[in-house]
Amino acid sequence: MNAHALSRHSPDSAHPVPPDGARAAVAVHGLVKRYPGVQALDGVDLSLAAGEVRALLGKNGAGKSTLVKILSGAVRPDAGRIHIGGRQVELPSPAVAREQGIATVHQELSLVPELSVAENILLGRWRAAGTRGGLINPAALVRYASRFLDDLRLELDPRAKVGELSVAEQQMVEIARALSYGGKVLILDEPTSSLPAAEVDTLLVLVRRLAETGLAVIYVSHRMDEIPRVADSITVLRDGSHVATRPVGDVTTAEIVEMMTGRTASPSRGPKRKASERVVLSVSGLSSGDRVRDVSFDLRQGEILGIVGLLGSGRTELFRCLYGLSRRESGSVELDGQPLRPRTPRQAIDAGLGFAPEDRKKEGLALGMGVSVNVTLSSPRRISVAGLLSRRKEQRVAEATRSRLAIKTPALRTAVGTLSGGNQQKVVLGKCLNARARVLLLNEPTRGVDVEAKEHIYALLRDLADEGSGIVVVSSEIEELFLVCDRLLVLNSGRVVLDRETGETDLPAVMAAAMEGSAR
Amino acid sequence: MTGTTVSDRYSPGEGTESRLRRVTGVAGRPTMEHLGLLGVLAVVFVLLSLTAPNFLSAENLLDVARQISFTGLIAFGMTLVIIAGEIDISVGSAIAFGSALFGVLAVDRGWPLWLAAVAVCALGALIGVGAGLLRALLNVPSFIVTLALFSALSGLALLMTDSIPIPVTDAGFAALGNDSVLGVPIPALIMIVVFAAFWLLANRTTFGRSVYAIGGNAEAANLSGISVARVRAVLFGTTGLLAALSSLLQTSQLGSGNPTIGIGVEFAVITAVIVGGASLYGGRGSMVGTLLGVVLIGILNNGMVLLGVNSYSQNVANGAIVLLAVLVSVARPSTRRTRRRAVIAPAPGS
Repeated sequence: MNAHALSRHSPDSAHPVPPDGARAAVAVHGLVKRYPGVQALDGVDLSLAAGEVRALLGKNGAGKSTLVKILSGAVRPDAGRIHIGGRQVELPSPAVAREQGIATVHQELSLVPELSVAENILLGRWRAAGTRGGLINPAALVRYASRFLDDLRLELDPRAKVGELSVAEQQMVEIARALSYGGKVLILDEPTSSLPAAEVDTLLVLVRRLAETGLAVIYVSHRMDEIPRVADSITVLRDGSHVATRPVGDVTTAEIVEMMTGRTASPSRGPKRKASERVVLSVSGLSSGDRVRDVSFDLRQGEILGIVGLLGSGRTELFRCLYGLSRRESGSVELDGQPLRPRTPRQAIDAGLGFAPEDRKKEGLALGMGVSVNVTLSSPRRISVAGLLSRRKEQRVAEATRSRLAIKTPALRTAVGTLSGGNQQKVVLGKCLNARARVLLLNEPTRGVDVEAKEHIYALLRDLADEGSGIVVVSSEIEELFLVCDRLLVLNSGRVVLDRETGETDLPAVMAAAMEGSAR
Repeated sequence: MTGTTVSDRYSPGEGTESRLRRVTGVAGRPTMEHLGLLGVLAVVFVLLSLTAPNFLSAENLLDVARQISFTGLIAFGMTLVIIAGEIDISVGSAIAFGSALFGVLAVDRGWPLWLAAVAVCALGALIGVGAGLLRALLNVPSFIVTLALFSALSGLALLMTDSIPIPVTDAGFAALGNDSVLGVPIPALIMIVVFAAFWLLANRTTFGRSVYAIGGNAEAANLSGISVARVRAVLFGTTGLLAALSSLLQTSQLGSGNPTIGIGVEFAVITAVIVGGASLYGGRGSMVGTLLGVVLIGILNNGMVLLGVNSYSQNVANGAIVLLAVLVSVARPSTRRTRRRAVIAPAPGS
């Protein structure tokens, strides 16, 4: 790591007192935002001084994203005031927020890989750099961009093609573009979650340097290995409210976790079910790329195993590796005692693995097609007779799936795109079950699903486990894992850092393990 | 297999609608769209019967049937290609290539006709599979791959024959393209057989189901265990094979292996498929719709000839038909509603 660059910052230099609204680079007062059924923000106050880096923390649903969306102009608050540089502003659109000096960099990069760094920085306003005879002037573009990159002291070639840069460098281009509108406040949303471990330091150094030039930075992250190195202070949100703002040197991970979770007891689950002793899935020493490192665990028949990890901790990559979508560098996997090394999804399915991907609309379902088509997509042999599809068999399988999983649909040929999120998720589950999956890998099975449907899905998972399936669930909502899982596994930077029965651990311990920086 | 699987416990459902849907089915269901197309077809037919001289004669209609068969049979393969979200613009050149190759093999090399015919079909299918593999494995857009073939195959056809047609004088072979059985032209019978086969393929096989799924969401299809690469390779193999078959029929009709036939066939074929209701974005289309599209385009062109419409104007009219078909497809209310509903974001989180 770059010790020299980071040594300029120490916890002592943190702002001990949060600046008041008048001097603040950015301040919000009494921000309220309600969505149907959710109080996303409930009167939040927050202010940052110029030159301050503030880490913003909170569980899923605490209100971080809503706050970021309001400040970036994507969402309008129901009530509350926003001040930038002491002046009250309205941020009705992202363009206005940009003009008012708020530069936002989202998790997903939005660069055009085939264009140069200069062209990307000036994306859509190439004429602003100067024209020649009414045409875009490439030399002026490069001059403009390189002057700007120099100001930020970024050593990037403005002529380089963005697609050929490293991820961290691409992120720098993204930051440079966000700041090129004259930003005074920079919002970074989980900026290191997509970075390879080796490139994280580069970004942290850049953020510190930007802060020294007087920029106020809101840094959304939960990684306790990087927060003390980059941030001056932390703010914790919980249930849409501001819990505390502290200088970063004063707080421990345990205190932060306590602020994030409150003093509420860990959610308790129903009566403990007894899983059999028979191991259905045995993973040992599995490694793949940067995100899955030496992962080992056993899953027993009838057991529900929850995987906890921050964004970028390798939870999705672990599933993709098990399912044969990414290369395995070392380690072995056995399913029902048979070595499992799928090279295609078909092989994984035939071996008895079912996979519900994170984004069911993009990866899980053919939205324009009917329920019956989707639930039988992975099991063509079950609905054919002598090589031809049998309508009657398909009908029977689809009807059984509908009643078994209580899928609410007007008809079995209704396009799944018209169903609710919960019912769509059931269709994905049905697809796996119809292929006779014995081990289910479920990535965020309740994302975008309403509260009642979540309960249905939890109950369903318990039933499936009782009937003998082994289930692995990844979820960003740690509480729900406590509700459904028999055992929890915490991933941190690709490694297993905790593996406990649910009853033998609690929410703070699990969250602390996920956030601690010891594993990197 | 050890362990109890959940799916074993499924009991047969007794849904109230099941009987109804056993009759109708998923993709092969006659839709409002087909009825609309049938209505348009009926109106055009009646109008032409009233206005175009000689249109309604049996002789003319059987001739139309023969003419549409040559391009029509390719349209069924093209339907699958388009449902999968791909396109094949090489079929016209593939016809020229097949015809020229047949002439060279059967006449210059003196191969038995049946062997030459089998060779033309096999090579046509193989070239198509090759194009499909390029598409699938190297991720080259199918438009580009088949554009290359479009140029190369027509060039090869001219090279092989020095651009001179090779007469094929065999009475038995000539019968294939020119004779009738029970009054129906043989090419039309072949087209009907091809239609039936492709209807089965699209509606009653795993392969057809996979094609729809890939066109609907290739990523989901892949994760669901469908071999997307294999399906794509086979798809272009089918259009290659059908183009070869069409080239044999046309060679038979013309009595020569001709390297300059097939020009513009890709346009006619794609037009028929689009008019038949297939979506160029993939996931939607049907064999019945394509059949109606082929017939509609066929009688329209025949009608224009009979009415003495200038052939340049016919081209303009055909262009307008494509545009109109695409506009109708974009404006279709049902799909737009589905798409918009599908895009609605889940409840906002934090």
